[in-house]
Amino acid sequence: MDLDSAMTIAAAGMKVQSARLRVTAENLANAESTASTPGGEPFRRKTIVFGNRHDRAAGVDLVDIRRYGVDRRDFELRHEPGHPAADASGLVRYPNVNPLIELTDMREAQRSYEANLNALQLARSMIGRTLDLLR
Amino acid sequence: MTIGSVSQALSAYGAAARRAEAEAGAASAAKGVAPWFESLLKAEIDGARASLQAGEAKSIEALSGRASLQQVVEAVTEAELSLQKMTAVRDRVISAYQEIMRMPI
Repeated sequence: MDLDSAMTIAAAGMKVQSARLRVTAENLANAESTASTPGGEPFRRKTIVFGNRHDRAAGVDLVDIRRYGVDRRDFELRHEPGHPAADASGLVRYPNVNPLIELTDMREAQRSYEANLNALQLARSMIGRTLDLLR
Repeated sequence: MTIGSVSQALSAYGAAARRAEAEAGAASAAKGVAPWFESLLKAEIDGARASLQAGEAKSIEALSGRASLQQVVEAVTEAELSLQKMTAVRDRVISAYQEIMRMPI
């Protein structure tokens, strides 16, 4: 049934958006995670890629996590000679995480989650109201 | 009412429907009429029962951390809606039956 499929699709959307929020939370939490040895690599920003997956049994296109990736951009350099990860010239490599981008991404995940939640609620109330005709 | 007791009630309904169908089948076999009401009711009950069991299984999976919250919400909502559908159809069928029984002969 179409309304049932709509609920399945919306639930899949909510699932991927929660995975996106998890990745964003990881990035934000590790925004200051440096290496502990001189010249070591700090935390690298993680990314998430969505894709559509055709569910043959239900005959619908669901959203799915295509893959988790890493951001290849350069690390931020800060001059901190006393840091355990500082190299010979006193520079420490910090993660390539920009909190502003992460916060925007988080807000986007929230909005998309709410949109899917609304679709789920709407499909449910449409089924309920159609059933009310029988009563 | 817990889902378990709903499930038990549904299996009782299912047993009653199967019995009714067997009797109706025996009665109508001579006339060659398909037992419409019974088979309709039975299909509804079986559907509701399957989705309630699926909802229950997902809830258990979620408790042990194997299913996501969204999957539980989806399965339980589906079970709730199919139970509502089943009861609505049952009420309709029974009221139609009562209507026929009230008919003056």
